[in-house]
Formats: sequence, C-alpha cells, structure tokens
Amino acid sequence: MKRFDYFLPQSLEEALELKKKIPNSRFIAGGTDLMVQIRGGELKPSALISLRSIPDLSSIEINGSIRIGAMTTVTDLIYNPDLEHQAKLLVDAARRVGSPQIRNVATVGGNLCNCSPCADLALSLLVLEAKARIQSLSGTQDVPLQKFFESPGKSCLSPDQILTDIFIEPVSSNTKSVFLKKGRVKMDLAVASVALLLEMEGEICRKARVAAGSVAPVPLRLQKVEVLLEGQALSPELADLAQRMASESVAPISDIRGTEEYRRQIVGVYVKRGLAQILGWGLV
Amino acid sequence: MKKEILFSLNGIEVSVFVLGHERLIDVLRKHLSLTGTKEGCGQGECGACTVIVDGRAVNSCLYPALEISGKSVLTIEGLQGPEHRLSVLQQAFVDCGAIQCGYCTPGMILSVKALLDSNPKPTEEEIREALQGNLCRCTGYVQIITAVKQAARHLLELS
Repeated sequence: MKRFDYFLPQSLEEALELKKKIPNSRFIAGGTDLMVQIRGGELKPSALISLRSIPDLSSIEINGSIRIGAMTTVTDLIYNPDLEHQAKLLVDAARRVGSPQIRNVATVGGNLCNCSPCADLALSLLVLEAKARIQSLSGTQDVPLQKFFESPGKSCLSPDQILTDIFIEPVSSNTKSVFLKKGRVKMDLAVASVALLLEMEGEICRKARVAAGSVAPVPLRLQKVEVLLEGQALSPELADLAQRMASESVAPISDIRGTEEYRRQIVGVYVKRGLAQILGWGLV
Repeated sequence: MKKEILFSLNGIEVSVFVLGHERLIDVLRKHLSLTGTKEGCGQGECGACTVIVDGRAVNSCLYPALEISGKSVLTIEGLQGPEHRLSVLQQAFVDCGAIQCGYCTPGMILSVKALLDSNPKPTEEEIREALQGNLCRCTGYVQIITAVKQAARHLLELS
C-alpha cells in the first residue's frame, strides 16, 4: 500500500490548519470506508488527518433539541439511553449499519460525508429533517441535510470544511416511524431502503416524511409521496397509490447488488409496508 | 517518519514505532509477531482480524495503528487461562467442533468475548447478531452457536 502520513490534531483549528497546509490530505473519521478505498487504490492521499482526538466531536447532548457530534460512533447511538425515545428512527437505522465491528468504529459524520446513496443513517436523518453544522477557519454554518448530498461520494463540503455536529428536533408524541432495509444478509449494504415518519391526528396524516436509499445518486427524500399522504385519511387504497408513486419517483441503477427494476419494486413495497406497520394493518 | 505508540496489549504495556499508513493488524502480526490474529479480506467484511479495543470488537485491518495509542487491546493470545490452559471460551469451541480450518476462529472468539463480557446470558438471536461480522466457510455456524451457548453456561457456573 502507498505510504501516507497520519496526524492526530487535538483541536478543530489544528485539523483545519493541517488540511490547508498539506496538499492532497484527507480527513479520516472511523475509517471503515476510507481505509478500504485507500487499500483498493481508489484514493491516494498524501496524509490522513484524524478527527478522533478532537474533544466534543463525539458526544450526544439532548437539551430540547438533540446535538450529535459528528464523531459519535454508530454503537454509541444505539446505546444512548435517551436517543431511543427521542429519535427512535435514527437508532433503528443505526442497528442496521454493517456488523458490530463496523458499528463500533464507524461514525455518524463519516456515514454522511461518505455520501453513499445507501447510507443508512442518512435516510433516517433526512426524514428527521436534520441540520448539519459545518466549520471552517472562517466560521460556522448550518445546512439542511437535504442540501448536504450532491452526488455519489460528494457532499457540499469544500476541502477546507469539517462537518462537526448534527442537530435534530425531538419528534412529537403522535409521531411514528419505521426503517426498512433490504440486504441479502444483515450486514450487507442496502439493495434498497426506506425510512418513513408519520405524524398522525386520529386517522389523518398531519405530516409525512419519506426517504429512500440505494435508488438515486444520493439518499433521496420522496417529496411527492409526502404530499400525497399529508392531510389525508390513510387508507390501503392511498397506500397502493403511494407504493406506485414511490416506485416511479426514484432513479436506481442496476449493479452487482440488484437491478433497477428490483430496486423500484422494493422501494414501492417498503413504502406500503412501512405505512401498514405504522398503522397496524398487518403484514404487507 | 515513524512515531511511537504506547498501549496496553493483553494487559501488558507495550511501545511500538509505526508508520502512518500501518494498521493495528500490522502492529500485531509484523511488529509484535502475534500471528494469532488473521487477515482475511482486509476490508472489514470477514471479521478474521477481529480484536477487542477498549472493550469493543473491531476489525484490526481497518484500524489505523496510530489511533491505538493509550488504548487497551485484547487479542486471542491474551485469552488463555492459568498455566497456558485454554480459556473456557476456547475450550467450548474445541469441545463443540466449532473449528475446522481454524482461520476464522480467533476473530469469532474475540467477537464472542466482547458479547459475553457485556451480556453474559445472550439469546440465540443476540449471539447471531454479535457474529454478523464474522464469516466461517467451513462449519456452517451451527457448532459455533452451540459453542457460544456452552461457554456462556460454563462462565455463569464459574462466576
């Protein structure tokens, strides 16, 4: 493997200064994807700048809104005693990321910055309408997560920026959610996946948020499906319509894990199944 | 340029000089000649390289060596019981025929060790989940699951 230098800055400023100083350097979070890409020769950085030693980047704070440091591991999401109640969807998705060994090291920020269309955490965070806090030497800005993903492997971050935190608002008590993922075995990357969140008032859906993974160049909000459901009494007929609309509003590719047609089919079925699970209609 | 890392390895403080691109598995196998930890895929898929870092199972093939400074690492070599006898967990794998070629075994055992340390009475579902990241091409997993149940039982009897 090509040699590279490795730095462990102790502060964000130090990390950003190093990045500016060393041409062709990369930030590394958990490294579970980056290390594979480097070994495979897809990436040839001159140096890695680790974000693991920077204090505060790996903590979760729940104080009205929820702040999740970008270096929080997937396992820490799962075992946080409060997150299960405040953002169940995120914890459900976290449980479906990779293997225990991967979850113990992989981070929230890494999962997002990797910008994979199949990122499990990205889907649930899109549906929870998360904001990403981005820092550079010139200041801080918050970006809605929906604007964070640009194309496969490419986020809106410029080389001199670091994703430091994710912010989400706690969901209201009449909100229910579900995360569904299709893989051949449990630790697989998603062939297709769906995150669904509904805020209900009796039979009427007040708010619907739907996102799908592995079916477009980026993790995708299905806003047409959301509009279809909002303000309506949810019925099996409407769920059939949502299923068709979901299948039609994605743009999957065929690859080693599944065909375009199969992915469309799965996304549609999962939207309908998610609605059925949330509304207690039994198995679809 | 080589940098020094200091960490606890199987309960003993060690110091190693490593290069930036080296990984934990390189430190174990190349620098310290601890060849119990195996490298399978080198991509975090097979789990043959699993070791425990600060109580959690990780793939040592994906773990940058320089990140290990100040941490506590447990490998298969650190598991043996008194007078070089096998640990309860290792003995259960032997007794249940949970080993054929043996290449996946150190990783399997470390994943199970991490599980049983945090959850001494796992259900079969929890055992299967803890072993999601460990592939075995010989045994078909049935004997491995049996071995974990037996080990959990014996460890509870001993405690």
